[in-house]
Amino acid sequence: MGTILDREGVAIRAGHHCAQPVMDFFEVPATNRASFAFYNTHAEVDQLVAAVKKVQEMFG
Amino acid sequence: MSDLRDLYQELIIDHSKKPRNFRVIDDPDRFADGFNPLCGDKLRLYLKIKDGKIEDAAFKGAGCAISTASASIMTSMLKGQTIEQAENLFQTFHTLITRPEGLEDPANAGVGLGKMAVFAGVNEFPARVKCATLAWHTLKNALDQAEEAAQTE
Repeated sequence: MGTILDREGVAIRAGHHCAQPVMDFFEVPATNRASFAFYNTHAEVDQLVAAVKKVQEMFG
Repeated sequence: MSDLRDLYQELIIDHSKKPRNFRVIDDPDRFADGFNPLCGDKLRLYLKIKDGKIEDAAFKGAGCAISTASASIMTSMLKGQTIEQAENLFQTFHTLITRPEGLEDPANAGVGLGKMAVFAGVNEFPARVKCATLAWHTLKNALDQAEEAAQTE
């Protein structure tokens, strides 16, 4: 998912986030994390949503 | 998107959704663990070996699409191979994925790999090379009877 979003120009964090105990706690192999900052725009949020939809298309 | 399709070929997506040989072998002759903390890939590989030949190969674990598909296709290919043939496959696959500089015939790097050749596109995604090779490094450890988990970090 990280690779596909990257190709769509969206940078997220994917995997263990150097926090394996948290993954064990939630009983998940890995997670994705999109973080927002004050400079992000509505258009960039739309870009993120469109990219996630592309992932769904590919693996859906 | 075409370059993404080079990475996520139909065969890879199919094997990641429906991994083959995704089971535990209860009395394996060899087994080894593989771990890739960056993606969160974790797998255990099991082998049944008789008279120097791999009779059965299976894996269990959780991981990203590339690592799961790689383990699925690899275990399918290993059945019936001798240990020496399996080691040769590891070398050929490693060369295909990493394409080291000075390779004499890069166009033919994947010859003899059969279905594993679909991973040729991974070469264009350096961050994902570790995902594709994890199962193979784990295989090498199992064949070498290594005690530590294989890591591709």
